[in-house]
Amino acid sequence: MEKRIVFETMGTVGSLICYNASEHSISSGRIQEILRDYDNQYSLFKPESELSKIASQEINLIDASDSVKGMYTLALSWRDATHGVFTPHRPDGVVDLSGVVKAVAIQTIGESLTHVEITNWCLNIGGDILVSGNHDDGSPWVSGIVDPEDRTQLITSVVLDGDRRACATSGSSERGDHIWSFGGYPTTFVQATVIANDIITADVLATAIVAGDSGNLDQICESWDVDVMVMDHFGNVRMTPRFLS
Amino acid sequence: MRTRAVIGSIFGSIVVLVAGWQVGIATTNSSAPTNGSTAASGSPDTSTTSSGGATETPSSTTSPAPSNTSNQSGTFVGSTVQTRFGPMQVEVLVTENKITDVKTLQLTNQGGRSVQISNYAVPILRKEVLAAQSAKVSSVSGATYTSEGYLSSLQSALDKAGL
Repeated sequence: MEKRIVFETMGTVGSLICYNASEHSISSGRIQEILRDYDNQYSLFKPESELSKIASQEINLIDASDSVKGMYTLALSWRDATHGVFTPHRPDGVVDLSGVVKAVAIQTIGESLTHVEITNWCLNIGGDILVSGNHDDGSPWVSGIVDPEDRTQLITSVVLDGDRRACATSGSSERGDHIWSFGGYPTTFVQATVIANDIITADVLATAIVAGDSGNLDQICESWDVDVMVMDHFGNVRMTPRFLS
Repeated sequence: MRTRAVIGSIFGSIVVLVAGWQVGIATTNSSAPTNGSTAASGSPDTSTTSSGGATETPSSTTSPAPSNTSNQSGTFVGSTVQTRFGPMQVEVLVTENKITDVKTLQLTNQGGRSVQISNYAVPILRKEVLAAQSAKVSSVSGATYTSEGYLSSLQSALDKAGL
């Protein structure tokens, strides 16, 4: 019997689907605790968070906790890998790690669920999805993708099975905690969905595609083992051949 | 779920090339293959390539005159076409007058590096994308919403139905 819980976190909403009630109660408590910890440390909307204190220069980055430094290093390595299209540096100079924190939190949750042998679940936080296993009838998890031209509709759906466990979508109509189009120009793509083997790769690359241009998209498809669907402002769709298979 | 329509449209821009193809290996008969654009169901309009897709329109788009169109099956190798990834050739498998598989043959580009095109994002018709959706969606991926934005989101409708 499928169980679904919905909770507010990180300024957005998450939902977890898993099976049987006892798994459910263990998992929801653990998940919300993990998320609260990340949010309290990294949210720029919370003046008391460590990252806010770094932004206000109450704390120097070199004196920051190891976890913040580690998260920053992760964001910088993705900046290098995407040739600067993905970056934790806001135009005003503030270090904003929201581009990686949510995904890292989701990944941590996933590891913690696996650790207690909960293996069939589907976790969605603000539109980032990570799954494990299948439905209890053996059928794979299926994720819908919002149509940016009409957000009450789906443009399509994808099956998340095998290694393809993660699905992330970025849009230029986002309120934009962490996306600035590279160079400050209007974005080429209005929405990008990336399917990957892990949620950090999916999330970062979806962000990078929307912040970048067509050349960046090709470079991303060439350099990472991902499946991608993008849409531009005219409603044109481009997709890697394996996306719908 | 892959359907022929999806295969046909994902490679819709590549199917444009087959109009200029030569017969390679025909296992049933040696007559000319059917015109590529009619064999790909659901996507007769190949103008979607104009948005910077992976292919260029070949110089000749007239279809070879078919002398025997019944029960065409076989593997056909298209002519080499210049694309922005370098020269590209397709191998098309036709089964009973329908294209059932398209392979891009790996070729070397000007830089001497071989280019495998198969996983670039190529144009696809919006209606084919819409047609590919499953009814059994458990979760929705979209650009991040705020807690307020969630309330009017598809995900919230799914969550309400599932609770």
